[in-house]
Amino acid sequence: MLMEPLILAGLIVLGLCSGIFGALFGLGGGVIFVPVLMLIFGLEPTEAVAISLIGIIAGSVGASTVLVDKGLSNVRLGLLLEITTCVGAIAGAIIATYLDSWILMVLFSVIIIYSGIRMIVNPERTVEPATGEDTAMTFRYTDESVGEDVRYEVQNVGSGMGLCTIAGALSSMTGVGGGAVKVPLMNIHMHVPMKAASSTSSYMIGITAFSGAITYFFAGEVILAYAACVAIGAFVGSLVGARYARKVPAKHLRKYFSIVLFFMAVLVLLQAGGIL
Amino acid sequence: MNPDLNKSTALTLRVGVVAGMILLVAGLVLDAVDGSEWLLYLGILVLIVSPFLGVVASFAVLVVEKDWKWAGIAAVLFVVTAIGIVISLN
Repeated sequence: MLMEPLILAGLIVLGLCSGIFGALFGLGGGVIFVPVLMLIFGLEPTEAVAISLIGIIAGSVGASTVLVDKGLSNVRLGLLLEITTCVGAIAGAIIATYLDSWILMVLFSVIIIYSGIRMIVNPERTVEPATGEDTAMTFRYTDESVGEDVRYEVQNVGSGMGLCTIAGALSSMTGVGGGAVKVPLMNIHMHVPMKAASSTSSYMIGITAFSGAITYFFAGEVILAYAACVAIGAFVGSLVGARYARKVPAKHLRKYFSIVLFFMAVLVLLQAGGIL
Repeated sequence: MNPDLNKSTALTLRVGVVAGMILLVAGLVLDAVDGSEWLLYLGILVLIVSPFLGVVASFAVLVVEKDWKWAGIAAVLFVVTAIGIVISLN
């Protein structure tokens, strides 16, 4: 299928923007991808979701090639939280058939607005291991913005895993990515430093999107050429975003993330009201 | 010397995504020239499985390191992901 050059360029730019955004904040960008693909590119909802998932994977994997390599993404924590996120997503997909989606979207908005306020009001708290010795939950990375090694111990692991189940369920019920919930959850509740939280989320969202994307792919729902353009843009954007993510001061990242959460809440509320 | 978890996972992801991107760019050219989409199909498939291959690489490194607790966690993630895919396909 030969595409119009303008559509091709538009899809690459869409992917590029979401890739930069995703790598910086640990968000997939589905909340922007899906309405733009439907409203501007005229795609059906299932086609838009399928392409969105592939764009999310390209952005996540692209960013992770840098963020995992540099140790900013916490692979072990990502694997652990991904288990309960996936369980929640499976449960959510089943529950969603019995509930009105607008109620869930309003609930999702309330949660991310609350998270955004907490991130502005409460200063970041990184917890050093109490004994000074490393435990199974002690991790470290180098913050290139200040040139210092950061050592942190993940707190509230059990409840954090439980809350990830809810995040996964909410994501699959609303179709909005879990990064908006997981980043504040890791940062506020589990005391993972903001840079590690957003980078770990960047790594995780690719794994979360894998199951959905492979299902849509084998169901023949993917418009290949459109998905290719979005993926190429998202990959390039993620490399740019990951470069800045390493260098931007954590305090600024936290503040900008809160603003993005408020913006996302408005978008989700507009979708809940049927306006988008 | 044991392989490094971060380096090995990142390398696997890099191989997957770069291979996917090369196939997608070549696929777009082929699509424009003769309308054939088989390269795009392959490129999208390679890209989609990349994050999963990253988990496989992490699992392999954790097994080599005899870090059984975290290897077990990666193994549980395989099972949960597989269940999710089976439910979705049905």
